[in-house]
Amino acid sequence: MTNAIVQVDHITKQYRGSLQPAVSDLSLQIDEGSVFGLLGPNGAGKSTLVMMMCGLLTPDGGSISLLGMNVKNKGAAIRKQVGVAPQEIALFPTLTAYENLFYFGRMYGLDAAVIRDRIDSYLTTFDLKEKANARVQTFSGGMKRRLNLIAALLHQPKLIILDEPTSGVDVQSRNVILDFLVALAAKKTTIIYSSHLLAEAERICTHLAILDAGKLIVAGTPEQVMEATPGNDTLEQVFLTLTGKNIRD
Amino acid sequence: MATLYKEFLLLVRDPGGMTLLFLMPLALVIVMALVQDAPFRDYQEIKLDVLFADLDHDSLGTRIQQAFHASPNINLVENNDTAAVNDLVHSGEFKAAIILPADASKTLRQKSNRVITDVLVNAGLVAESPRPVELTGIRITILFDPVIKANYKQVLSAAIEKILTGIQAEWILDELQNQLSENRPGTKKIKPDLSGLITIDQTYASENAASELELNSVQHNVPAWTMFAMFFILYPLAGNYIKEREEGSLLRLRLISGSGLPVVTGKFAFYFGICLLQFVLMILVGIYIMPLIGLKALILGSNITGIIITACSVAIAATGYGTLIAVYFKTPQQALSFGSISVVILSAFGGVWVPVYVMPGVLQQISRFSPLNWGLESFNDLFLRDAETILILPNLLKLIIFGAVTLAASIFINKSRTVS
Repeated sequence: MTNAIVQVDHITKQYRGSLQPAVSDLSLQIDEGSVFGLLGPNGAGKSTLVMMMCGLLTPDGGSISLLGMNVKNKGAAIRKQVGVAPQEIALFPTLTAYENLFYFGRMYGLDAAVIRDRIDSYLTTFDLKEKANARVQTFSGGMKRRLNLIAALLHQPKLIILDEPTSGVDVQSRNVILDFLVALAAKKTTIIYSSHLLAEAERICTHLAILDAGKLIVAGTPEQVMEATPGNDTLEQVFLTLTGKNIRD
Repeated sequence: MATLYKEFLLLVRDPGGMTLLFLMPLALVIVMALVQDAPFRDYQEIKLDVLFADLDHDSLGTRIQQAFHASPNINLVENNDTAAVNDLVHSGEFKAAIILPADASKTLRQKSNRVITDVLVNAGLVAESPRPVELTGIRITILFDPVIKANYKQVLSAAIEKILTGIQAEWILDELQNQLSENRPGTKKIKPDLSGLITIDQTYASENAASELELNSVQHNVPAWTMFAMFFILYPLAGNYIKEREEGSLLRLRLISGSGLPVVTGKFAFYFGICLLQFVLMILVGIYIMPLIGLKALILGSNITGIIITACSVAIAATGYGTLIAVYFKTPQQALSFGSISVVILSAFGGVWVPVYVMPGVLQQISRFSPLNWGLESFNDLFLRDAETILILPNLLKLIIFGAVTLAASIFINKSRTVS
């Protein structure tokens, strides 16, 4: 790989009181402009890795660089160029869509006029323009999820980290979101896409990494991943082959 | 400004929070001032019905009735049936009764005569005469209902004692004149006025001697419950903060570089402003609403600057404490239960419920560590003693330091939990 925008080197993290490390000696790199699918069953270490990338967790060992800067000492500078859409609907339910986005825009340090333009543009793209002045608590799951994504895009980051961005949304909303992400990647925005939905990953990801028990099992393009486990026709079969069929809680 | 506006929108769209912040404290201060009005009123404002059994049927009984008639606090109700008097007091229908024994006037006359004779014999003005049998003193009985408050009991006993002392002095003077004029026909007796010999001026030791400052229900309850309400800012503050944490919006803010300071300062400034608004509203209620419901109007004293600084200091302490509770606890149940109970305890130690000076010594020592005590003492100094700001400065500094320490601890805890 070339032009690595994310470089993870031998990262380890073990939570206090836990017998097993959440992430163990994990290394990977993500190229600029790629849509990188971070896949794995529950407890694989995806969220821990994402948290460490965002600077919200400090690794016990190893290092992470984003956009050429070390997360450990350049966390603030990195976060200015990174957009995160957490799995939770991280919005204020009693504020309107517009009020939510305007507030987060101000927190990103954007000018009011710029924020207004971007809100207008994104609400149109995600078919939420008519609901701009409706309170978020009145939105459907799909509308909330789309707004949650817009809030991560307002400052037009170079790297976007998405944690289950289509969780609980209808087919139409999912389609809008996925099409948008593909278009965004075409404009050289790098996307880290953490999900359980393998069909979605297969559809939009240019690269994949499958994690299990805190370790990287396999990484590469979808084709490379498929080739790594001969005899499987779908990504789901590959996933089950690599991570097993036991239920994870 | 963005955070201030966001907090404003969140609050105005939360009717429960608005009620808790503004309506409940106003209702609380009015109810508490009304409930505590009677205990706080001075005794002279209360008219107490006292039974009077006059078994003497002579001039002493009449004189006692005349004296009590002039008293603004005690209304004598005559009932000469001692058994009935006993029953009425026992049943609690009357709080006290005075029983004047038979022949009290006659005995007092004889005792007065004896005292004056002894004095005149001692001075050589009259010849010594054989002493008649020893006279026993008059025993006036005061019956009290066991549930009567100790201060009522003391005041009633003191009033009766004062009246009897006056009557005794008058009768001795009268007897002195009788004996001195015995061999001087044509000497006219006079009735000297003893009432003005000694007068007592009662005034409060405030710096502004001309003010009408005094401790009453309104003067105590308005600042006390205002502070209680200001410290209860933790309820919406912690509630909203934890809700934001649970909903994830706080996580998003943490992920936005440089948002930490504006978020914390914006929240702090907003709730600080709410505290001040609460203060202003409660003070306005004290000044304008209390008189409408039959209570005295709140008197602020003349040090308005001191009051503003004190309100700001209390607001800083209350907001800092609320922020610490919000940050430290992980669930709303923990934060709100601990927070509200701790404010009740701090307010109890601080003298909000009952003045600190009536507490046991140990509690009085503990009360010195309650921020509500620092605030209440400062308000009492300003409202009742009309104090200069320099006098309340130590308490103000404690409040500000408390606010700064709790806020710093909140930022530290928040940061340590953000990156772990």
